Amino acid sequence: MINSIEAYLAELKKELSRSDRATVQDALSDAEEYLRTALNSAREAAPGVPEAEALAGIIGRYGSPGEVAAAYKEIESRTPPSYAQAAMKPAAAPVQIGAVDAAPVAAPAVAARPFYARFFGIFGDVRAWGALLYLLFAMGTGIIYFTWAVTGLSVSAGLLVLIVGIPIFALFLLSVRGIALVEGRLVEALIGVRMPRRPLFSRRDIGWWQKMKNLFAERQTWTTILYMLLQMPLGIIYFSIIVALVSSSVWLIGRPIWELGFGEPFYIISPYAYYTPGWLMPIVMIGGVLLLTATMHVAKYIGRLHGNFAKVMLVRE
Amino acid sequence: MDEIINEAIRKFQKELNSGTAALALLGVLDKAEKPMYGYQIAKIIEGRTGDVDIMKQGALYPVLRSLEGTGLLESEVEPSVAGPPRRYYKITESGRKTLAKWVEVWRQTSDFVNAILKGGNHD
Repeated sequence: MINSIEAYLAELKKELSRSDRATVQDALSDAEEYLRTALNSAREAAPGVPEAEALAGIIGRYGSPGEVAAAYKEIESRTPPSYAQAAMKPAAAPVQIGAVDAAPVAAPAVAARPFYARFFGIFGDVRAWGALLYLLFAMGTGIIYFTWAVTGLSVSAGLLVLIVGIPIFALFLLSVRGIALVEGRLVEALIGVRMPRRPLFSRRDIGWWQKMKNLFAERQTWTTILYMLLQMPLGIIYFSIIVALVSSSVWLIGRPIWELGFGEPFYIISPYAYYTPGWLMPIVMIGGVLLLTATMHVAKYIGRLHGNFAKVMLVRE
Repeated sequence: MDEIINEAIRKFQKELNSGTAALALLGVLDKAEKPMYGYQIAKIIEGRTGDVDIMKQGALYPVLRSLEGTGLLESEVEPSVAGPPRRYYKITESGRKTLAKWVEVWRQTSDFVNAILKGGNHD
């Protein structure tokens, strides 16, 4: 018998234990929104009814944890984790009947394209551009996260001997949770890895002191801080890789302009300057185009790796 | 025997719901003047259909999310005084166009099924 919203949510979470973590979090916040609103209006309508009794009726209408979990699993199995496949073929996307079911059908169509189409098709892939952008941004966000984490930790640690250290530390941990959500949104928007879309639900049946203790004891809080610290070195590495690859490609593709237009040699071994022979020029340029295309694939791949890493670090089990 | 029949009923209802839930939600949001959140939508559906209880209200939420995923709905989150933040949904232009087509398909489908079930003699 479920006699509190918290018990319902715990039950729902257990039912969804094999599902995507982001789905679990969404399902929990949907359920919480419904149950709390329904309970509030039930209380206004009939103040005398005990909570457990009112809740039984509400859950009857909303569905048992098992039923609700089944509905989410059903939808999740029909929708791809990212919108990548929808983005791959924007022309075919105008919503038709049963658009919800269209995605799994789209997947083989994408895979069946010839190799060269898939290789160069990367330029039409929203996910690759998104990942490229994310990898460039990661250095900026990484520096911000790193600074925030180090400042927060050291200020709280320094003041912990005084009483003021405790509330400062608590506020810092709260901010970490907010950053986990924002970073998750960024990762999902640019890389397409499914991340939570709603904040974690907050329990109402415990005091703020207990909430703080939970925040402190939760694995996700600490892995998020670790993520914030790691994001800076990772961001610098990503930025360097992408900038190096893109500028090498541009350097190769622009050979005729640099050499014939500006007289820049291909390379210099003093005192000799070497220029690209005419017959090699097209090959060098093609090499540049191939490198640029490969860069897009690299960006998408690193992006996906980073997305999965972010999911492990930022989303609660 | 009853077990088999119940299972068949449940399965049939579930399969029907996977299409009609989306149609019903688009229908409600098409008539809505303001963006609405899940609970409000569920209550409107409950108010219109009364005793017809073929769909748990909890099953509407994932459909809302998936409609948003396909671009037929859009949503925004607003904090609420009384509880957790609420996600307000509203229908998009492509949602309205899709709904018009879906209604047509729905009419055809129900005419089709009714015509067969009404039957008459095969002789």
